[in-house]
Amino acid sequence: MNPWRFSLTTKRLLFWALLLSVMTFILFPVYWMVTTSFKVPLEYATRTPSWFPRQMTLDHYREIWKEQAYKYFLNTVIVSLTSTAFSLAIAFPAAYGLARFRFPAKLDLLFLLWILLVRMAPPVVLAIPLYTTLQSFGLLNKLTGLVIAYQIYTLPYSIWMLLRFIRDVPVEVEEAAAIDGASRLRTLLAVVLPLVGPGLVATAIFSVIMTWNEFIYALLFLKTPEVFTLPINIAHFITEYEVLWGPLMAIGFMSSLPILVLSGYVQKHLLRGFAISFK
Amino acid sequence: MVLPPLFIISMETGNAVRRTWKRRWGQRYSYLLFLLPAFVVVIFLTVYPLTRVFYLSFYRYNPIRNIDRFVGFGNYTRLFSDRFFLIGLKNTFLFSVGATMTEVILGLGLALLFNVKFRGRKLLLPLVIFPMMFSTMVICAIWRSMYHYEYGIFNYALRSLGLDPVKWLIDRNLALWSVVLVDIWQWTPMAFLILLAGLQSIPVELYEAARVDGATGVRLFRHITLPLLRNHIFLALLLRSIDTFKIFDKVYALTGGGPGTATETISFYIYREGFRYFNVGRASAAAVVMFFAVGLVSVLYIRQVWRRER
Repeated sequence: MNPWRFSLTTKRLLFWALLLSVMTFILFPVYWMVTTSFKVPLEYATRTPSWFPRQMTLDHYREIWKEQAYKYFLNTVIVSLTSTAFSLAIAFPAAYGLARFRFPAKLDLLFLLWILLVRMAPPVVLAIPLYTTLQSFGLLNKLTGLVIAYQIYTLPYSIWMLLRFIRDVPVEVEEAAAIDGASRLRTLLAVVLPLVGPGLVATAIFSVIMTWNEFIYALLFLKTPEVFTLPINIAHFITEYEVLWGPLMAIGFMSSLPILVLSGYVQKHLLRGFAISFK
Repeated sequence: MVLPPLFIISMETGNAVRRTWKRRWGQRYSYLLFLLPAFVVVIFLTVYPLTRVFYLSFYRYNPIRNIDRFVGFGNYTRLFSDRFFLIGLKNTFLFSVGATMTEVILGLGLALLFNVKFRGRKLLLPLVIFPMMFSTMVICAIWRSMYHYEYGIFNYALRSLGLDPVKWLIDRNLALWSVVLVDIWQWTPMAFLILLAGLQSIPVELYEAARVDGATGVRLFRHITLPLLRNHIFLALLLRSIDTFKIFDKVYALTGGGPGTATETISFYIYREGFRYFNVGRASAAAVVMFFAVGLVSVLYIRQVWRRER
């Protein structure tokens, strides 16, 4: 008899045990962050940390409120919403053009592949010249400068995502509109836009998540605390204080909440969203 | 509106949309206007900086110490005799290979687990994706606290089991792998997503037919699942290796490149040379090397996309 042949019950048991351990590995760090943010320092800055807060406290949240962490929050909101809006405004017509027209000399394809390459290139490679460029425009240490730099991430990304969504819209719909006498712009705004609406929202959400979490450019191009975004604030926190984990986890948790809520809306687009141009 | 001569070659005719519009306005090339804003922004943000970084890599340029002179390939030869760069290259390679392999293998295991229909699957699936939604800095904050030698939960667990505590981020031989572990936690879900999609695209009938022929468990996996999943595995490997090669933020927040040079990586080297020491020339040379290294792997991916798009 095959020694690897288990009874059905054993198999089920093994399956659930495996699933349980995997889920524990995945969720434990998140659990640890949330619980630590509610613990008193005695329960985490110790050799015997508690697995569950015995004495719940909101002190760390009060503290980060007093330290005006909402300013970083606000900066992050501004940067990620503006970069997303700007990107979508440019990317939508571009994606439409790329989806519907054949360009001479395969220029459309070359352009698409180029922005794909750009998206995969290491951000530090472009950082050096971008730094001097932003400096010469007086945009260093400004949120506007960061929004411009973020177009390197969000623009190629949005174009690729929207391209896929627009291709799903049957061209006959537009032909019908054109024959009915709608102008090109009107067709685009009144026919195509509503049809790719959900795709547009998904792209926007991914772009917000991407810029919300971005670190390198924010680190390099922002110098003074009043313009810091959340990741930079957290990075300073991590590297400057050894074990001030209560407030650190509180701010980490608060800064993750919007992203987690947003990601709930894009569950079914996750694959498209994270592996662009993958089908 | 004058368009660059680059565009004026030919155009496809045929669909009714454009025919109607063309008749109405006779705007032969107006469709290029759709692309124009994006085109301008992309050129400004990528072509110019890349040209500039290439140019700078031939200069010994330090704006702080006021040095600016042409050195030809000097930066490159210095680069490859710089101990830090070489160690960075080695560490980046180790990190990338270690993280990518583990993530794809674990992702495959996880995908197989979630390819089974069980109660609560729909509920757990979004939770598996959780880690890659977080900001890397938040993740680093959590893991740094868990890795802490004195107060970390890992060493607490080890001590209560009667084992010796581990110097997660302090030990020279271990630090890099501790950073790898964080990357594995964050990005295995990505490999998982790709591979799960692959598994679900395999028709169930194939398994049924093989079962009728008497094949079971491991053989089904080896002769049906793996061959049919090849493209997805390749894609996961490709995307993860490109991404892990750029490793910077975790090194910055967890170890700062240390202890010693144990977690020095190329991205971190460029950051330090360019933005701390202002050796812009040398940093640019390193950036060019890195761009070509990543570009080489990216080409594999781009070629796939090219084939499909054409």
